[in-house]
Amino acid sequence: MNFDLDDDQRDIAAGARDFFRGNASPAAARAGLEGGALEPGRKALADMGFLGITVPEQAGGSGRPLLDLAVVAEQGGAVLAAPSLVTAARAAVLLAGEPELAARLADGSTAFAVLDGPVERSAPSVDAADATLFLGLDGGALVVGEGEIVPGRPLDATRGLASVRLTSRRVLVEDAAELWARARQVGAVVMAAEDLGGADRCVQVGVAYAQEREAFGRRIGSYQAVKHMLVDAWVGVEQLRSLVWWAAWAADNNPAELPLAASAAKACAAATFERAASTLIQVHGGIGFTWEHDAHLFWRRAKVDRLLLGDEAEHLDAVARLAVSGALGA
Amino acid sequence: MDFDDSPDEAEYRARVRAALEQHADELLRLAPGQEAVDARTHEAEMRRTQRVLHDAGLVGVTWPREYGGQGGTLLQQAIVGQELARFRVPALINHIGMGMCGPTVIAHGSADQRDRYLARLLRADDVWCQLFSEPASGSDLAALRTTAVRDGEDWVVNGQKVWTTLAHVSDYGILLTRTDPEKPKHAGLTMFVVDMHAPGVTVRPLRQMGGQSDFNEVFFDDVRIPDSERLGEPGEGWRVALTTLMNERVTIGGAGTAIGAPVEEFAEHAKARLPQLDPERQVLARQAVGRAVVAALGARYTGYRRLTVLSQGGIPGPEASAGKLAGTEAAHLMADAGVRLLGDDAVYAATADGEDRWQRTQSWLPGISIAGGTDQVLRNILGERVLGLPPEPRLDKTAPFSGGQR
Repeated sequence: MNFDLDDDQRDIAAGARDFFRGNASPAAARAGLEGGALEPGRKALADMGFLGITVPEQAGGSGRPLLDLAVVAEQGGAVLAAPSLVTAARAAVLLAGEPELAARLADGSTAFAVLDGPVERSAPSVDAADATLFLGLDGGALVVGEGEIVPGRPLDATRGLASVRLTSRRVLVEDAAELWARARQVGAVVMAAEDLGGADRCVQVGVAYAQEREAFGRRIGSYQAVKHMLVDAWVGVEQLRSLVWWAAWAADNNPAELPLAASAAKACAAATFERAASTLIQVHGGIGFTWEHDAHLFWRRAKVDRLLLGDEAEHLDAVARLAVSGALGA
Repeated sequence: MDFDDSPDEAEYRARVRAALEQHADELLRLAPGQEAVDARTHEAEMRRTQRVLHDAGLVGVTWPREYGGQGGTLLQQAIVGQELARFRVPALINHIGMGMCGPTVIAHGSADQRDRYLARLLRADDVWCQLFSEPASGSDLAALRTTAVRDGEDWVVNGQKVWTTLAHVSDYGILLTRTDPEKPKHAGLTMFVVDMHAPGVTVRPLRQMGGQSDFNEVFFDDVRIPDSERLGEPGEGWRVALTTLMNERVTIGGAGTAIGAPVEEFAEHAKARLPQLDPERQVLARQAVGRAVVAALGARYTGYRRLTVLSQGGIPGPEASAGKLAGTEAAHLMADAGVRLLGDDAVYAATADGEDRWQRTQSWLPGISIAGGTDQVLRNILGERVLGLPPEPRLDKTAPFSGGQR
């Protein structure tokens, strides 16, 4: 039994933490709501090699396992970094047979987005607002093309959500249903990893405040009503961390387990991040409800992410169907 | 990262499995759907089962060899736990003795006590219980009122304990008493080994909400305990009790085995029952099933992380309390969904064909949220020891206990 990150992965996480802390922040997420640029931005992520972590080396990537990408995504999630590594992870799966396109993904020279729903008018899709080339599923075939972008008013600007109508399309893979499903599961794992980082940060900030703020003559963290709320959020984060690691590991080491593990991680992420962000606001009281405080930026991310790539209900249903059909093993 | 045994672990697991197969006929095993056996009706078989396992080298895995143990690792202990569960051997009759009483005797007992008690405890020649909680002190254990008063070479004990698991079949217990009411509550306590067959000890079973009787109340009327049976110095009882409670946390927060039904059995139940619900109910029921499975998997894989710490030679810290909390939550969700899946039969104590597994689990779980640290006490431990939040002020911590009694 060795269910822990290895030294390499811990180094990757530490490097990613330093990079993201220096190049992204909730403040940028706030500015994004008023038209500011997203941080760290696609180019910086590419320069760090983060967009190509799971892209094969022949295509200019690092050819590393999904778990490496997940530990980086967690660090990005902690500071609400954008664009999302979900797009990089998902596109890398879809472009497995397209080294030339994969190279443009890895080096950041092309802004890709993966479209959910029909390519005639997609559902709101992650990072589509700033993308120039789109991947979509068109009647069972994987297509790539340019498109007309219809953004909505952002609840969380860091997700770059927009609907897209493809204006050109070229078929990359004729019968792509399985590939598409796997890419979506991988995307769900990476989003759960970003949510893990966000939820963990919410607990840390909430705990720090509860250690300092005083009311009725003592620090509020000493009251069980406050303490237990934070503990429940923390326990949820630790469960989520286990499911994210397991799902990311399964993607490369036990693909038959990926559908169950990815849905379990994504369902858990939806509930855990939402609770952690709500707890963060509640622990802070009035100040946590202000525009200036970071709490609402995590809350926005949680409120949006819980519905992307399948909501909690969809993934709970998937977990139930898979479990009763024997996916847990003997 | 992997979920496989190391070569050493695999070899050890194979040895454990071989030993279990070899002694299969001599072991008490659970029937399908059964989770526990009643020590009241199966005492002899349970004692025999532990003795057989002991002689096969599967009991006291982590205990020093000089006390009859195997001198093994915590991970080997976890492997034995997993394999016993897989082989459907119920909890051993002396699980409290091994998990809590024995380690306390090892840490604080005299050489003479260790020689007399420990080997017999591991073989279940003697069964042990833990006499801590009282009617007026549960979570607030240090408020206990059972007194021990020095009289020559003896101490004379009077008072009442409660929620004492296995007291009705026990030969010995570790007993926490108040020996100095003029000291603050944590400072006036002393621990003893008590002979449960001594004159003045009365054990009365309590009936739980589910109808079973696993625990008891125990009365002490002028029970004499020789001073040589004291564990630790007079007034040091709280420190001694903490040894016991830390071991309890490791025992219950344990790594790699589920609280209640394993998720695979829950999934089998769902597979059989879901198609019998009408289609609209199935949609809702799958939500509940999915939620329970996610919670169970979250607890399981978090347990694997603790197991990894053991595997690398580490010792579980206070974060192990999160394992009991999360495992209990998953068990509640599975029991609730398990009962709901029964459709109309969910309102009865058993289905028409007499199957009552999920109803029994449902009525047993409220106790799990209380025993071995209530959900709320565990949250306090996690909040204060892991997250570093300030403790609640405790106004009675420094005042003499006698002055605290109103």
